[in-house]
Amino acid sequence: MISLSDVEVTFGVNTPLETQALRGVSLNIREGEFVTVIGSNGAGKSSLLNALSGEVSISSGRIEIDNCDVTRLDTSRRAGLVARIFQDPLAGSCEFLSIEENLALADARGRRRSFRSALNEQRKQPYRDYLSRLNLGLEHRLQDKMGLLSGGQRQAVSLLMATLQPSKILLLDEHTAALDPKTSQFVLQLTRQIIDEKKLTALMVTHSMKQALEVGTRTIMLHRGRIIFDIQGPQREGLKVSDLLELFSNTQGEQLDEDALLLG
Amino acid sequence: MSMIAFLGAIESGLLYALVALGIYLSFRVLEFPDLTVDGSFPLGAAVSATFIVSGWNPWLATAFAMIAGACAGMVTGWLNVQLKILHLLASILTMIALYSINLRIMGRPNIALLGETTLLTPVEKAGDGWGIPFYISTPLAFVVVVIVCSVLLIRFLNSETGLAMRATGANPRMARAQGVKTGWMILTGMALSNALVALAGSLFAQSQGSADVTMGVGVIVIGLASVIGGEALISPTSVLKAVLACIAGAILYRLAIAFALNLDVLGLKAQDLNLVTSILVMIAIVLPRYRFRKSR
Repeated sequence: MISLSDVEVTFGVNTPLETQALRGVSLNIREGEFVTVIGSNGAGKSSLLNALSGEVSISSGRIEIDNCDVTRLDTSRRAGLVARIFQDPLAGSCEFLSIEENLALADARGRRRSFRSALNEQRKQPYRDYLSRLNLGLEHRLQDKMGLLSGGQRQAVSLLMATLQPSKILLLDEHTAALDPKTSQFVLQLTRQIIDEKKLTALMVTHSMKQALEVGTRTIMLHRGRIIFDIQGPQREGLKVSDLLELFSNTQGEQLDEDALLLG
Repeated sequence: MSMIAFLGAIESGLLYALVALGIYLSFRVLEFPDLTVDGSFPLGAAVSATFIVSGWNPWLATAFAMIAGACAGMVTGWLNVQLKILHLLASILTMIALYSINLRIMGRPNIALLGETTLLTPVEKAGDGWGIPFYISTPLAFVVVVIVCSVLLIRFLNSETGLAMRATGANPRMARAQGVKTGWMILTGMALSNALVALAGSLFAQSQGSADVTMGVGVIVIGLASVIGGEALISPTSVLKAVLACIAGAILYRLAIAFALNLDVLGLKAQDLNLVTSILVMIAIVLPRYRFRKSR
């Protein structure tokens, strides 16, 4: 279980630009849950993800992963618990390393790295098998540099990299947003398949309200650094984008700026 | 060019190959522009020369030189990682500090090693036994050193830890997300890089017969010329090829310099070396841009 209690994130403390990105967020994510997160720009979606992964240190509150207090651990020390895919397809892998080297790198996530050779035939075979499920022919291109792949291919490989080793939570940061609609659909489908198959706990940030409702088992909406609603179970079934908008104006007493979020 | 001058160029080329390997590790693998080498090269020479004239075993003296170089690299890494000083500036600070430290270590601006027992003494003796003159046996010994260092470096960079080090330079954010402690990787890489450079400095002093506090001036540029020039010859698509490129670059660079200085037509003298080096580096950087897209 992942639990955030009263988490606050403040940027530029004691400067004129001081901004509170998260204002007391408490959230419990049960094992096997797939949470989608929506919210307009500046709502605190990325800060929530970065707080969980350890990339930003929180100014107050507590984060526990599997009953282990990780509040003070930096990104690399949390890596065994947290897997992550970035929005930018170029960010999640090393373009100068080959596909197999990238996979080997991710394969060692969360364990001690030895001085033994990172790649041998015995290790490559599972990579080949795993890559072949993408149907992109990448299993025959193990030695190609990552930089030769397209954005969609890189994101698909990033997904495999993030799920090679078990994790307590998989963080997806609008990981389909930078892709064209068709590729985006492919990567999303693959994400759902892998999460289903490996029974992963996941948190996905998305700009699309429709996607947030279609995918996953629970949806939370962030607004100005707070969780303004959290819907799951029967309440979530059959919910439409228009219902969400209504929910928003009822709870906030204001209209959601339609440009701020993709309604489609 | 005489045979002795040719072999001399090969000999110093082999030593600069070690420098080039160190610079490949910092500039290319870690993407850390490290000028510490201008200080760690004479540091290696100073440490080993001081120990050798005090009667220590030359093997131990050389090992101490490498340790000293590793420490210098760690200082630069620490300034950058812990104190958040810009990498280039951090390395310049260490380099300048090393100038004083090298003078302190030696107690004077230079130490002569003539008549002392160095690592090369047994090599020369063995060569004499087989009728091989020292100007052939010394480069042969250096070939062995370069091969050993290259094999170890290639094995390391292809290991799990080495892969993490390469990721640290190429994409630190991703490396951290994969659980790589990037700060440690920079410290380790800088230590290795400068240990190699100090080894080169130490062997240089032992083969030239003296250590001098000014012998480090321009080492960074020569090393960089070797790395960049080598990459123009051998496209560094794998670690093995990158290492071969460094070695080929260093040897060819020294040969080119020897030829240039030997051509009376050009009117070049030994003091023009650094000017020629700078121009060669510039050409080596610019030329590939017009020939093919840079790949790694």
